[in-house]
Amino acid sequence: MDERADLLQGTLDLLILKTLILGPLHGWGISKRLRELSSDVFDVGQGSLYPALYRLEDKGWIRSEWGVSPEGRRAKFYTLTAAGKKRFAAERSQWRLFAGAVERVLEAT
Amino acid sequence: MSQWMQRIARRIRALLHGDAVDGDVDAEIRLHLEMETEELMRAEGLPAAEARRRALVSFGGVERYKEAHRDARGVRWFEELTQDLRYAIRGLLHAPAFSVSAVLVLALGIGASTAVFSAVDAVLLSRLPYPHDDQLVRIYNQSGPTNRWTLSTVDLHALEEQSRTLSAVGALRGKRVAVSYGSAAERLPTGFVTSGFLHALGVRPVRGRTLEARDDAVGAPPVAVVNHRFATEALGGDASAVGRSIMVDGVAHTVVGVLPAGVNDLAGVHAQIWASLQLEPPTRRGPFGLYVIGRLADGATLDASQRELVEISRRVFPLWSAGFQDSTAHLTPVSLRGDLLRGAGHTLGLLAAAVALVLLIGVANVAGLMLVRATGRSREIVLRTVLGATRGRLVRLLVTDSVVLAVVGAVAGIALGAAALELLKAIGPDVPRLDEARLDLRTVAFAAAAALFAAVSIGAYPVALLLKRDAAPALRDGDRAVGAGRRSHAVRGAFVVAEFALALPVLAVAALLLNSFMRLQRVDPGFDPERLVSIHVSLPSGLYPNDSGDTSVRDYWARALPLVRAVPGVASVGLGAALPPYDWGDFNNFDLVDRPVPPNTSQPVAPWVGIGDGYFAALGVPLLEGRLFTPADTGVAPVVVVSRSWAKHYYPDGSAIGRQMISGGCTECPHTTVVGVVGDVKYDGLGGTGDAVYAPVTEGWPLDLNLFVRTSVPPAQVVSRVRAALASVDPGIPLNEVVNMDERVYESIAQPRHMTALLGGFAAAAVVLAAVGIFGMLSYTVSARRREIGVRMALGATGRTVIGMIVRRGMGHAIAGAVLGLVAALVGTRWLASALFDVNATDPLTLGAVTLLLLVVALVACWLPARGAAGIDPVEAIRAE
Repeated sequence: MDERADLLQGTLDLLILKTLILGPLHGWGISKRLRELSSDVFDVGQGSLYPALYRLEDKGWIRSEWGVSPEGRRAKFYTLTAAGKKRFAAERSQWRLFAGAVERVLEAT
Repeated sequence: MSQWMQRIARRIRALLHGDAVDGDVDAEIRLHLEMETEELMRAEGLPAAEARRRALVSFGGVERYKEAHRDARGVRWFEELTQDLRYAIRGLLHAPAFSVSAVLVLALGIGASTAVFSAVDAVLLSRLPYPHDDQLVRIYNQSGPTNRWTLSTVDLHALEEQSRTLSAVGALRGKRVAVSYGSAAERLPTGFVTSGFLHALGVRPVRGRTLEARDDAVGAPPVAVVNHRFATEALGGDASAVGRSIMVDGVAHTVVGVLPAGVNDLAGVHAQIWASLQLEPPTRRGPFGLYVIGRLADGATLDASQRELVEISRRVFPLWSAGFQDSTAHLTPVSLRGDLLRGAGHTLGLLAAAVALVLLIGVANVAGLMLVRATGRSREIVLRTVLGATRGRLVRLLVTDSVVLAVVGAVAGIALGAAALELLKAIGPDVPRLDEARLDLRTVAFAAAAALFAAVSIGAYPVALLLKRDAAPALRDGDRAVGAGRRSHAVRGAFVVAEFALALPVLAVAALLLNSFMRLQRVDPGFDPERLVSIHVSLPSGLYPNDSGDTSVRDYWARALPLVRAVPGVASVGLGAALPPYDWGDFNNFDLVDRPVPPNTSQPVAPWVGIGDGYFAALGVPLLEGRLFTPADTGVAPVVVVSRSWAKHYYPDGSAIGRQMISGGCTECPHTTVVGVVGDVKYDGLGGTGDAVYAPVTEGWPLDLNLFVRTSVPPAQVVSRVRAALASVDPGIPLNEVVNMDERVYESIAQPRHMTALLGGFAAAAVVLAAVGIFGMLSYTVSARRREIGVRMALGATGRTVIGMIVRRGMGHAIAGAVLGLVAALVGTRWLASALFDVNATDPLTLGAVTLLLLVVALVACWLPARGAAGIDPVEAIRAE
């Protein structure tokens, strides 16, 4: 295949929440920013992105509203809610714990 | 918590505004694809079309995404349900021939079985309308396993005084008697009952009092309890009825109570008036004739009561042995419910079995149709699978199809069932409480269960196919892949075999009943029913005392008969206590002097018909031997005339004339002598024996007699004048029971006629369904193998060979089914034996004929599609694929 990594189960939510920390975005914007921030490593299949967005919205971590994009198009913007911010913090520390542990195991000689 | 509530609110919004939300999703995807396309054009310089294609590819399955999205919203199940329903209904509407026939078949099957179920429910499954109905028993005299008869006053008193296992015992003697109130008089069904009868049943009047023990005593003022209808129609309402005096059988009775509305039957006996039965102290063991019921005491079992009653019989019967010698006889209690339903279970069971078979054939038929339909849709289903529909979703789609069919079938079936139930009540079997059958919740539940069964049966196989199938080969092979497969052929074939196997027993039963009915119809009733009417004359005992020395009854007839004979148009007149072909009037036991029964066994019995002068002439019964009665036969030396069957039965080798017998167990009475032999008349139904003994009414005039009038002109022109002649003798006697004897003969076989018609209808339905099933299977085979048939014909096969090939395939199934059905019929029809007249339940001719008929129908159903196959143009058929 190519150089892109498959996302670990559960990490997509964390990444989406991260992109939204920086401000509201529409779906395509989220996918673009993910690609940029990961230097094209994460190209989230949009078939996974949108279900994830609706799942997060359903859980109340993000909310959506229709607005006009910088390109002048009608688009649905996603915003992080207060609950979403808390969740992001929790998930991020979880991830760091996990990633650090994996790293230590791999570095062990 | 509030978050949780927001979530619910969102879901409700999604549910309510599903379309709007879907629109949002569409817009969002559109935007995403546009942005991606532009990005690709800008960043990589791709042409618009290519950029768009890449964007789509990178997005993944749009439809799958939408589904996943709805899943995330948690409302998918609901949306999909309505979607499946919409889809199923649209699909069914697009195939109206399939849908209409499937719904029709299911509706007929469910409707007929629902009607029969409600009859079974009302008659067999429901309880009797009395408190603790399981405690109620009927009591018989029994000797030997099948010989049962009613009780006498001696028996009743023995039970009343000695039984501990019965908490209440009561007797009934029911008859139609003249009842007059105010100025009106009519003959009404009346039950003369002891107080224990009402007490045992636990029936209480809504007004006034019930019968009490003091009313049973001889000489107590006669009282009666009446039903609500009589109180309303004759006595001006419940309130004014109590205390009124009515004449019952010529005796003044005071109405003391009124039964609740709707109580018209007690223990299976219909009567409007329940008058106190006052039994004279017995002088001998007989006569019998009392209908006795009892209630088991709390804690007493039927077995315990049975043992006790045998004990009581052993103690009491020897005291009365002078008039009754059968020492094996004993009193025996049986469940009242079982007694009332005796016979009904058999009749309704037959109907239920037939209707269940027809329902099964119908379901097998629709299942076959569904399979063809699933086959036709196989390309669509494969396409859906490739496009990403999940297996579960497809299964639901197919299941919805069968559920919609079954539900529509059930709803139509319930409506049909209501109509069918009315039909069943009107012409159906003569079983108690059928009139109480109605469509209620239980019936609807039954229809729902039948529909569920139908849905599962017709939907199961297409779903099983779907679950087994691998999508890719199916797509490659095109739309024949499912239905034309070996397996599904085998399943369709099995359905057809099953249809024939189920149809044959139904057809066999109908044919046996028809055969039996036609034989019954040809039976000679023994008299000429044309232009013969009977008028029932019941002289009230109050005015015609009829005890020793009283001649009032004889005098009445001595005055009436000449007046009737003088009416213009009257050819001849006769008097008889029986009303053929199905009312023998009286039964009597006898012991032949020259060949008495062994000691301590029961004596033979026969219909014992009291007749007056002119009876045989009026009915057209020939004298075969000896003489008829003369005015000199007054009982000093009792004489009887016997029927030819009786004479052959007891004196097969010689003449019966001059033989003597002890009649009615009266050993002290003078012997009775046979003086004549006449032709057989049926008194026990056309299917019954011709045994009968005739005694002259001059030996003891009965109060109830039928006046038979043979007319030389149509009877309708004569009857009113005959009635006027009778009324001129005593105007107070109701004469409303006039019977045209030809109608009576016709009515006597109404039961078998109706059962034959009902079963004939079921059989016709079964045969048509089986024929349609095999026709459908072969039509489909022909269309699926069109190309192969074309190739065969191109290679030189003639139309004949093609027809032969198709017909052989169909007939193989039909014959296999018929053979299975024949085996089932041979086992099953034995059960029918008691309902058949003069036909063996395994009559080889009948069974052979129905098998042949079924196979001929199958042959026609096979030949039609085969002929179509022979007409296939090989060039066209091969090119078509």
